[in-house]
Amino acid sequence: MNIKEYISSGVVESYVLGMLSAQEKFDFEQYCEVYPELKAARNAFELAIEKQAMENAVSPPINVKEKVFSAIQQKPASNTSKIVSTEPTIRKSSGLRWMAAASIILFLVTGYFAYTLYNQNKDLNNSLKSLQVKVDQMEEYHKIMSDPNVAVVNLVAMTPAKASASIYWDSTSSDVYLLIKNMPQLPSDKQYQLWSIMNGEKGQLQPNSLGLFDVGENQKIILKMSNVKKADAFAITIEKRGNTEGPNLEQLQSMGKTKIQ
Amino acid sequence: MSPNQGYFVVYLFTNLEPKIKYSEQELVALLNEQNNDAFNYLYDHYSGALFTIINQIVPDKDTSSDVLQEVFVNVWRKIGTYDETKGRLFTWMLNIARNAAIDKVRSKGYKDNQRTQPIAEGENAGMSISSNPMVNDVGLKKVLTTLNEEYRKLIDLSYFQGFTHEEIAKMLGIPLGTVKTRIRTAISQLRTMIR
Repeated sequence: MNIKEYISSGVVESYVLGMLSAQEKFDFEQYCEVYPELKAARNAFELAIEKQAMENAVSPPINVKEKVFSAIQQKPASNTSKIVSTEPTIRKSSGLRWMAAASIILFLVTGYFAYTLYNQNKDLNNSLKSLQVKVDQMEEYHKIMSDPNVAVVNLVAMTPAKASASIYWDSTSSDVYLLIKNMPQLPSDKQYQLWSIMNGEKGQLQPNSLGLFDVGENQKIILKMSNVKKADAFAITIEKRGNTEGPNLEQLQSMGKTKIQ
Repeated sequence: MSPNQGYFVVYLFTNLEPKIKYSEQELVALLNEQNNDAFNYLYDHYSGALFTIINQIVPDKDTSSDVLQEVFVNVWRKIGTYDETKGRLFTWMLNIARNAAIDKVRSKGYKDNQRTQPIAEGENAGMSISSNPMVNDVGLKKVLTTLNEEYRKLIDLSYFQGFTHEEIAKMLGIPLGTVKTRIRTAISQLRTMIR
């Protein structure tokens, strides 16, 4: 094809002015890709037309601009052509999606904090309760120890294990409290047992169980044992767990005589 | 003049003076993002030129205002179909404006409104308009007046009235091939005249 003839045939101007048939238009666009001079000629005529049009511009009535802007803002994006409308729709839905994601995250975070706070609160409540129990115990111990009617009987160690304890014995109520000072932990099949002992008329010892007890880290240091009105001595033996028989005096660990009576 | 007033004048000067804010590529990219500022600039920059073109096809000012509005709304909506490899933005808008104006003139509503005006029907329509300068001769139309009578008639019928070559051939009683050649020749003369 003679491109110079083609350019001067008027096809360039016809193309720019929109006066070519669909086939001619298609051909022209194809040639433009191949012939830079054709594209240059097109561009030159476009600029000339544009310059001509700008020089002869007549301002339209002012209200036209308002109408245009209200028209493009009033119409929802979904009514516009595909290419233009898809973007804002995506933006809107991504905005909504973001909001949804944000609210879910917020919900989870709040839930996490609520759960943590609930657990912390529960822990605090539990430790407060155990502290309260300890305080109550300490108050009780203090009351016992400061009571003038309570006698203290020290049980001294009778073996190399050096098991020692004290008995707080209320003479008015007959309550017996055992304060554990140094009692080694026993195998799980054994228990300590506290006895009150009376000297019988015929010189026979009359033991009376005041209860079995365990010694361990979680055990109370002051134990409330069975009441006894009269006792000449208190003694602690090691017995088999849940012992119901008399004291095994060979396993006597510690003993102390009462001063009163 | 206080410094503040001085700044104000500078402000006015820089903001009222129409300056080119965007390259054509930037403008198209922003329009594709539905940027309001870019569209505002587009309107301010091109509405006058397009209004002139529309007015040359649709002489009635109110109607051509309506067409201009329609054109800018379409530009806003269809900017995604604009292909910069096929021509400049103004060329694209010019063709939208021309087509919208021709459609308006050919619409039934417009014809009904123009009944009071002496419009001949059929074959004589083009003849009567081209021999009757009812439109202001500005821009392209003004360039047309420098063409000889026959070429001017052909350009008027094909470009400003949007008749197809076949319709023009029938109207003027000239063979289709002749119509095509003459229109091409007439248009190719435009190039030299416009520069």
